[in-house]
Amino acid sequence: MSSESTTMTALAEVRNVSKWFGPVMALNGVSLEIGSGITGLVGPNGAGKTTLLRLLTGQIKPSLGGIDVCGRDAWSPRAKDHIGLCPFGDATWDELSGRQLVRVTAGLRGFTGAEARRRAEAVLETVGMVDRANRPVRTYSKGMRQRIKLGQALIHDPDMLVLDEPLNGVDPVGCEELNDLFRTLAAQGKAVLVSSHILHEMDQLADRILFVCRGKLLASGPLEEIRDMLDDHPLKVRISCESPRWIGPQLLTLESVKSVSIETPRDLLLEVQNPSRFYAEFCEFAAGNDAQVQRFKATDTSTEAVFDYLMERAVRPE
Amino acid sequence: MLVLLGLAVLITYLWSLPKPWHPDPRTSAELAREIVLPLYMGFLLPVICLGYASAAIADERTGETLVYLLTTNIPRPLVYLSKYAAALILTLGMALGGLGSLCLVPGKIGLEALGVFWPVTACATAAYVGLFLLFSAWVRRATFLSLAYALMIETLTGNIPGFVKRITVSFYAKSWLYESGEMLELAAKGVALSLFDPVSAATAQWVLGLASAGFIVLGMWIFSRKEYD
Repeated sequence: MSSESTTMTALAEVRNVSKWFGPVMALNGVSLEIGSGITGLVGPNGAGKTTLLRLLTGQIKPSLGGIDVCGRDAWSPRAKDHIGLCPFGDATWDELSGRQLVRVTAGLRGFTGAEARRRAEAVLETVGMVDRANRPVRTYSKGMRQRIKLGQALIHDPDMLVLDEPLNGVDPVGCEELNDLFRTLAAQGKAVLVSSHILHEMDQLADRILFVCRGKLLASGPLEEIRDMLDDHPLKVRISCESPRWIGPQLLTLESVKSVSIETPRDLLLEVQNPSRFYAEFCEFAAGNDAQVQRFKATDTSTEAVFDYLMERAVRPE
Repeated sequence: MLVLLGLAVLITYLWSLPKPWHPDPRTSAELAREIVLPLYMGFLLPVICLGYASAAIADERTGETLVYLLTTNIPRPLVYLSKYAAALILTLGMALGGLGSLCLVPGKIGLEALGVFWPVTACATAAYVGLFLLFSAWVRRATFLSLAYALMIETLTGNIPGFVKRITVSFYAKSWLYESGEMLELAAKGVALSLFDPVSAATAQWVLGLASAGFIVLGMWIFSRKEYD
C-alpha cells in the first residue's frame, strides 16, 4: 500500500530489496523512496527496521534488489558522503570529550585543521552541546549522548540523516528541542529518516510514514492518506451540530456509516467504513440537509491506530 | 602486556645474577640462546602482537564503534590499511621496547644480541600483526583464535620435525636468526639442525615480507566485503 500526495525528489531509492541472514528473511521485496522532509519508520521489534537502516547506510548489502543514495549505490563510499547516521546504541569512544569526539568524526570525514574545528563548533551549537562539550562522553546522560551522536551525524552536512530511535531516553523538553531541530533540517531540504517505536511521536513529527512488519513494507505515505486508504477498517468521526437527534438517523442511511451514537447533546460519534466514500457522502448530505455542522473530526487517525490496524491485517490469515 | 614484559625482565635480571653453580659472568651468546630466543621470540613476541592486532577490529565490533568507521566515506580497504598501520606502530613500539629491555637488563652483553634480533623482530612483528589483524577482520572473537594459533600452530607445529612447520612465522624468524646470529651460536647443531632444516636468511626475509603483504591484502579483501553485525 502506498500513498504519495505530492511529487517527491527521491534522495534514496530502495528497489525490490530482500535481505536474508542465513535462513532468516529480514526484508522481503521492499521498494520505497525517501525524499526531503521527515519520514518516520515504524514497526515492531524484528520487523526489519534496523536491517533497512543498515542497508541504507551501506553497512550491509541487499541479497536481492538495489539501493541508491543520491544516485549512487548505497554500499559505495561516495554514497556515504550524502548520509549521516545516528546509530541506536550509545557506544562511542567514551574516553574522549564531546568536542574531541565530534572533531575526530570530522577527521574521519576528511576535514582537518581549522575546517574540522569550525564544523565541530557549528554542530555543537546546532545540537545545543557547546557548554558541555569539554566533558568526557562517559559522563554524559542518555539525552546528551543522543545530541552528541546527532552532532557526529551532521558534521559533514549530509543530504540525508538516518536516525535510529533518536529520542530514546531523551526527556520531554529535550525531545521537543530535537524535534524542532529535525524540522529545521527537513525545512533546509534534507531527508530525515527517523526510526521509532514510540508511535505517537510520529503523529506530530513525520511528514510521511513507512510501516514495516515481518520484513515487508505494509504502507507508506502521509498518515492521513494511509488512513483513508484503509477502506475496510472503521474510522471514528465526531460531529458537533445543532440537532444531533435529527441528523443521527439520517446519517445512518448513508452506505458508509456503520453506526451512530449520541455522545453529548451536541455531539455525534460515527463509526464509518471507507473514509473516502464517507467524506464524499457526508459533504453531499450536509449540503442537501442544512445539517449546521459546527465541528467535524476523525478521532483515530493517530499513527498508533493505523499501526494497530496494519499489524492486525498483517497477521490475519489470508 | 606490561605485566608480562615486566615478568620477563625480572626473569632476565635473576638469570644474569652470578650463582654458585654459574659463577662466571654471562655472555652475549648465552643471553641470546637461553633468554631472547626461547622466551622472547618463542613466546612474548607472538603474545604482544596478538594482544594489539587481534583487538584492533574485534574490539571495535564488540564495542559497537565499528559502525562509525563503516559509515564514513573512507573506502573500506583504506580503513583496514589504517588499522594495520596503527596496530603495527603500536606493536613495533612495544615489541622493540620489550626486546631492548630484555637485552639491556644484563648490561653491555645484550648489545650484540640486540643488534642481531631487532631486524628479525621487526619483520616478524609485521607478519604477526598482518595475520592477527586478518583474524580480527574475519571473526568476532579474534583474540581466542589468535591465542589458539600462537600456542598450537606457532609453538607446537613450529617445533615438530618435518615440512609442516614452514607454515609458521617463527620458523622463518629462527632460520634468519640462525644465519645472522652465527657469532651468538644460535643455530641448532647436529641432528637438531638437520631436523629443523632451516631456509637461508634471504629466503626467510622474502617469505616474511611476502607473507606480511599477503596477510594485508587478504585482510583488506575480507574487510571490504564482510557485513559486520
